[in-house]
Amino acid sequence: MAGRARRITAAYLLLSPALVLMLGVLAYPVGWEVWISVTNFSSRGPGDRAFVGLLNYRAMLHDSEFWRGLVTTVAYLGVTTLAKLALGVPMALLLARPSRWRALVFLAVFLPWAFPGGITVIAWYWMLNPPLVTSYAVALGTLKHAVDVAAGGGAYAFLSVVAFNVWRGSSFTAVFLLAGLNAIPTELFEYARLESSSVWQRFREVTLPLLRPYMALAVFLSFTSAFADLANVWMLTGGRIVFPVLGTQAYWLGIRGGQFAEAAARSLSMVPVLVVALALLFRWFDRREDTVDAAAPTASGRSLGHRAAA
Amino acid sequence: MNLQVRDKEFVVLVGPSGCGKTTTLRMVAGLEEITSGEITIGDRVVNDLPPKDRDIAMVFQNYALYPHMTVYDNMAFGLKMRKFPKPEIQKRVQDAAEILGIHELLRRKPRQLSGGQRQRVAVGRAIVRHPKVFLFDEPLSNLDAKLRVQMRVELKRLHDRLETTAIYVTHDQVEAMTLGDRVVVMKDGWIQQVGEPLELYGRPANKFVAGFIGSPAMNFADVTIGEANGAMWAENPGMRIKIPAAQADQLRRYKGQAVAFGIRPEDLHVATGADAQDNVIDAVVDVVEPLGSEILLDVKVGPTVMVARVEPTVRVKVHEPMRLGLDPERFHFFDNKTEAAI
Repeated sequence: MAGRARRITAAYLLLSPALVLMLGVLAYPVGWEVWISVTNFSSRGPGDRAFVGLLNYRAMLHDSEFWRGLVTTVAYLGVTTLAKLALGVPMALLLARPSRWRALVFLAVFLPWAFPGGITVIAWYWMLNPPLVTSYAVALGTLKHAVDVAAGGGAYAFLSVVAFNVWRGSSFTAVFLLAGLNAIPTELFEYARLESSSVWQRFREVTLPLLRPYMALAVFLSFTSAFADLANVWMLTGGRIVFPVLGTQAYWLGIRGGQFAEAAARSLSMVPVLVVALALLFRWFDRREDTVDAAAPTASGRSLGHRAAA
Repeated sequence: MNLQVRDKEFVVLVGPSGCGKTTTLRMVAGLEEITSGEITIGDRVVNDLPPKDRDIAMVFQNYALYPHMTVYDNMAFGLKMRKFPKPEIQKRVQDAAEILGIHELLRRKPRQLSGGQRQRVAVGRAIVRHPKVFLFDEPLSNLDAKLRVQMRVELKRLHDRLETTAIYVTHDQVEAMTLGDRVVVMKDGWIQQVGEPLELYGRPANKFVAGFIGSPAMNFADVTIGEANGAMWAENPGMRIKIPAAQADQLRRYKGQAVAFGIRPEDLHVATGADAQDNVIDAVVDVVEPLGSEILLDVKVGPTVMVARVEPTVRVKVHEPMRLGLDPERFHFFDNKTEAAI
């Protein structure tokens, strides 16, 4: 018995560095953030914080800026993720194909992601909002005006941020999916080649379903990185809130405005959305592994269904 | 390489890894490009035909079943891609499932199947296509030993039943011998010998085939050919044996030269008084491997190590001398330079 107790103690002892790290850098800050979101903690108020219940959340829900920010954030996540997948999948397929130019293509695809973000953001900022007056600047100014008139104020800023995110992130998606492709046994693709000579058919029936788990993960990474994407949005819009995502709003409120409690509430507001997204994605991911009971009718029993009909 | 596979024949390509057997199979399938030469299936040259139109069905070593599809969908895949009508697909899948006894599994996913069941599904996927040729790429090598033997028998039975031409690649010579109507032994991209299993075993064309086919492998000894007392002799420091008259003529031109002498383990036995003294050698027991139905003796014959397969009743002790009789009908000689059988 003593031996067993000692083994358990030893196990916890060995786990403790990891546990301390997890608690220290994850659980504690999150817990603290949740706590201050229900207080009146602020740089302007008196030194001590008082518990105010859900007051900050209620105020947030009544703030039209918050709703604008939520809508833009969700749109930003959705549009960039779709675009990154749409570009990332073909890039990954190109990279997976053995060719003489593969190293060069790989470099070209990988470069946007490997470059320091701060520098490329400035390059994009100057490219889209030229700081010097030239005919190019005039043309872009006209374009910006036209876009904002056609799609509403802030549309140009939105599109610029989306373009930058997609440019930078699709290469990451591609490389991520390439790793996925490489992990799939080549015989699965070869068998498809034996049975079909249509590239599109093979892509739809074999490549896409096999790639699905990796795509689910790529989507989730894209979601979280786009949500946490404060720096790019902040820098690309010149530090102004012309492009209200929740991240910049929280930054503005908390760091610039000293309203720590409101900022905490705002940054926590996306957590339920992300949790739901994660749950959905994992269900999608799991479809590949889903267990089909021999007796239970399922979606994949579809092909048997028509036998009963016939 | 030049090989003609007859209609309904089961041909096995066998050889060590890297000998080109799988590449050959993949070229027939169309997964590998050929730089020169011609591949015909039936009367059709298929060099430039895409794999799909070659009327072949291939079974891969690791089955290549799609994890996201049920067994039924996996088996129906090739037919669906070819736009077969649904009732026809159903009928073929049902029939194949019946033959293979996997009817209960049609709605499962591959990961819910055992290795043997996956193997069956992979074979079923080929059967439903009713192809001209089955191509098997080491289909049994991922199974455990017991299952492999069982599946081997089933594949043979299946071939008898379906009467479809099959090309089967394996590195396992037992599989090759038991399955093949004819066996093609390959090495370094070259065909060493083509023949029926027992022909390869009894009359190997060269030293490589002799050593490759059979387990335990044929024993080889370096000997010098000499002539004395009106007979030909094969000698080395550990042995001196008389070459039977049937082989003596062939070996006369090697007089005074070194050749490789080969004899299979089962052609060595514990010498008795009935053995002619000219075909008996002195040996020292090195290792005794009792296998139950037989005993393998690793023995030293002068400078050479040999394996003898003897009756399970034989009692010998390690490091003790013994006398082994050789079956003079079963001597093999190989040219040292060309390695061809003499």
